[in-house]
Amino acid sequence: MTMTDDPLLSIRNLQTYFHTDDGVVKAVDGVSFDVDRGETVCIVGESGSGKSVTSESITQLIPIPPGEIVGGEVYFDGEDVTELSTGELQELRGGRIGHVFQNPQGALNPVYTVGYQIREAIDAHHDLSKAEARQRAIRLLEDVGIPEAATRIDDYPHEFSGGMKQRVVIAIALACEPDLLIADEPTTALDVTIEAQILDLLRDLQDEYDMSIVFITHDLGVVAEIADRVVVMYAGKVMETGSVEDIFENSAHPYTEALLECLPGQSNLEPIPGTLPSATDPPDGCRFHDRCEYATEECRVGDQPALSEIEDGHGVSCVHWQRGSDGLPEPTDVRGPVRSTGGER
Amino acid sequence: MKAYIAKRIAWTFFATWVTLTITFLLLDFSPISAAGAEFVDQQVQQGMDADEARELYQEQLGHGDTAWERYTNFMVGLATFDWGWSSMYSQPVVDVIANSWIYSFQYVFPATVLSVILGFAIGLYSATHQYTKEDYAATLFAFTGISLPNFWFAIMLILIFATMLGWLPTYYSTDVALLSLENAKQLILPVIVLSTAAIASEMRYARAESLEYVHAEFVKTARAKGLSENQVTIRHIFRPAMVPLITILVGDILGLLFAGGYVIEVIFQIPGLGLVSYEAIIQQDTPLVLATVLIPVFIAIIGNLVQDICYTILDPRIDFGDR
Amino acid sequence: MSTETHTDGTRDGHDEITFEDVDWEEFDGGLEWTRTRVAAYLTMGGIALAWLLDSLYGSRRDPLVDYQFGPVEFAPNPGNVEWLFTLTLAVLFFYCLVPLYQNPRRTKHYWKEFKKNKAAVASLVFLVFIFLVAVFGPFIVGRPELDLANAYQPPVFYSYVPGLEGGTWEHPFGTMQSGEDILQTVVIGARVSMMVGLIGCLMIVVLASAVGTTAAYFGGLVDEVLMRFVDIMLTFPTFFLILFVVYLYGGDLFTIILILGLTTWTATSRLVRSEALQRNEEQYIDAAKNVGASERWIITRHLVPNVSNTIITAATLAIPSLILYEAVLAFLGFGDPNVWSWGRVISEGRGDLQNAWWIATIPGVFLFLTVLAFNFLGDALRDALDPRHE
Repeated sequence: MTMTDDPLLSIRNLQTYFHTDDGVVKAVDGVSFDVDRGETVCIVGESGSGKSVTSESITQLIPIPPGEIVGGEVYFDGEDVTELSTGELQELRGGRIGHVFQNPQGALNPVYTVGYQIREAIDAHHDLSKAEARQRAIRLLEDVGIPEAATRIDDYPHEFSGGMKQRVVIAIALACEPDLLIADEPTTALDVTIEAQILDLLRDLQDEYDMSIVFITHDLGVVAEIADRVVVMYAGKVMETGSVEDIFENSAHPYTEALLECLPGQSNLEPIPGTLPSATDPPDGCRFHDRCEYATEECRVGDQPALSEIEDGHGVSCVHWQRGSDGLPEPTDVRGPVRSTGGER
Repeated sequence: MKAYIAKRIAWTFFATWVTLTITFLLLDFSPISAAGAEFVDQQVQQGMDADEARELYQEQLGHGDTAWERYTNFMVGLATFDWGWSSMYSQPVVDVIANSWIYSFQYVFPATVLSVILGFAIGLYSATHQYTKEDYAATLFAFTGISLPNFWFAIMLILIFATMLGWLPTYYSTDVALLSLENAKQLILPVIVLSTAAIASEMRYARAESLEYVHAEFVKTARAKGLSENQVTIRHIFRPAMVPLITILVGDILGLLFAGGYVIEVIFQIPGLGLVSYEAIIQQDTPLVLATVLIPVFIAIIGNLVQDICYTILDPRIDFGDR
Repeated sequence: MSTETHTDGTRDGHDEITFEDVDWEEFDGGLEWTRTRVAAYLTMGGIALAWLLDSLYGSRRDPLVDYQFGPVEFAPNPGNVEWLFTLTLAVLFFYCLVPLYQNPRRTKHYWKEFKKNKAAVASLVFLVFIFLVAVFGPFIVGRPELDLANAYQPPVFYSYVPGLEGGTWEHPFGTMQSGEDILQTVVIGARVSMMVGLIGCLMIVVLASAVGTTAAYFGGLVDEVLMRFVDIMLTFPTFFLILFVVYLYGGDLFTIILILGLTTWTATSRLVRSEALQRNEEQYIDAAKNVGASERWIITRHLVPNVSNTIITAATLAIPSLILYEAVLAFLGFGDPNVWSWGRVISEGRGDLQNAWWIATIPGVFLFLTVLAFNFLGDALRDALDPRHE
């Protein structure tokens, strides 16, 4: 991994709100993280935690209105993307930043051939002849592992299987050799075997195209496979961020711990009690306090605690991050014995 | 796909046959058919020879002694373009039609083009700008347009622009050349009346269908490729919405335009098919009534066929095994 | 959303509150004769019987009764249309108002949904007003009569020349060429439009649900034949079909309403079929089949009530076109010459735009507003009743 001092993508205090009939939904409320060159960063969280909105805010793919980026900066290669004009943004989308979405069944327009849809992405950024664009599209289809690409290019999406469609979507995202690929739950809608293939493919492509990946998922198993670093989100806030080892071996936030306990293979599969807090009227203090077994009075007042740097690159937003040492009692209920680590810090 | 189109054509013939048979049955069981004797009397009173009148009547209705004979006469007559004799015009019905269609076409065609373009454009804009002021205004216009009784709307426009302001003529005049500014001027009101309802209807459909796609995943994909908003709207919202929209073009809009045209011709006295039909009904000129009613039916049947073929071209997913 | 109060348990798993549930308990009571049902059957049967007796033995000229309450004269001499209208009102009462009254909770839910649409609420208020005018108005304001001495009276607050004496409250909407009061024609016209709209709507409901559910339930050849027939009917431009049949079979109001009903049910029946097809797959139909219910029983007791949302919405949306068709026919002069339809009044005012603009204008405003209100109402009903339609 090349870890340089200037990250490719740097999100600072991003706030994306949606104005709805029921009030303002603070889908993303002060999110910060960096993505270095060639690195894969996973954003993890339950559905509704704001991870998709975060990823779509980067190139402003969220519907505006009702959505609005009310604050924060998104630096891509040193430039604040939130300040760009519509035209510049369009240049960025599909050019230097590619997107892959969750549902391959819906991500392709049923009335165009896949070739047309790939060429569309190429033509949006390059001035190629039709034949050249077609050649490039075929090469892309080959790159993403579609057999007989030269003939399949004239097929319509409904003639492809789900996994193959997702490969086509990835081909579209790679059409202009982006520096950053944003993949929003690209394997959630797929079978487990296909999922593994797509993850392999993404890893291979990352080396081949030398790009960074922001990978959004709710599946920690996938995170373990693919991530270099992890951002754990909950209710529009970052709960914990760190390297994949930090998160899996040394997690410091109760929410992360709870997520880890939901992993299949753990001896006691325990769902996290409760539900996400109201998005229009979030609770004071830590967003997670309602469902947190360690929560104390401190957790219920003020704002979400700032990220405390436990060690280099490992931050946690919890007032009790040092709970093992400051004498706070461990919860009384029986936790999973296989849990690798806990509050011993 | 070829087999599918062949099937559709066969179905079209079958549908035509059923339609004509129903028409015949309606005609044969009607009091008008039974009133043949009365008709002959009428003609005699108007100074026609009795035998001649009877012959004329038989010719008109494809009359025969048995129902089967009448039926075959009727069907063969229609198929061979021998559509009978118009007593009102003292001409073969086919000639009357040939002389009058252009008067209908000259304003129905521009109104159709206008309504399709405006209707789809407004509907698309409305869908991509859902819940904005413009969207609400467009929806209000649509409701108004589909609710305005076109005959009353026409009269109100005449009241304002002809009677009160005197800018436009009250009635259509056949004295001016078809391709003249004068003629265009006297067609302004008919075109407005005819297209208002059609625009309203089309934009409602266009909006509803486009809305299906505004939030589609593939629209997001298209945006993520770096396409401009216009490209996204046209290629990825409008183009897929076209598929269902084709259906309403033939099914609803054709009917709307024909029915609207009928009333408009009566109000503005445009001597097209509608006015001919209207006068034929008043004068009880049955062969002419039949012809002027069947023409829209034929156009609708052919329109349906064209629509289905368009469908196969526009939607690659269509299942040709159906039907 | 737990509304599963049904005793049969076959509807479990269906978690939306829909209009379809309205009659369910009643329907599922099987042969149990609830008081409402007895009342409904008695009322409708009584009206039908009275209609039969009136057409057999009644006199064309003499009214049934003749009462005079001050200025209000009640002397009805109903023709076929009036009888059919009365029957329609009874059906409306027993199958719409009574269930709504008997299920206040569900009514409340619908109202909450419906209330969101301000235009629809305004439309409902306006339509209730027009409906009351249609039902009671003619007995209060009387029927328009020839009055040559009062021809061409302008409406109140309007005079030909400023300063000159204008219209009076005697004739608030002015008078026609032969002195008929326009207010009276508007009131009668409201009745005509309501009769056309509601009776036609009822016919559509009956025909469309009969054909649609039958096709869906039996499937196979029955479905194929019925739906192909509907296809062909739909190809036929409705206006010309109506025009042709009216030309052939005459245009008195009763015939026109029958023709309108018989020619406009097809689109709805297709909707009903596709809806019923989905329902046919559901468990309660199987349950009914398993206990050996007859086919007619399943269709009328299980299939029809469960597609009633679709039927009601589609039929409401058909009312405006029914009203417009009748008005156009009357306008063209193919309507009933004895009936003061709004279309006919507009037609008569057309020749006098220059000196009596109000004759064509005023009834047209009412026609337009009524059609507009029905369109808004139908749209809101679809939003409130049909969870599948966004």
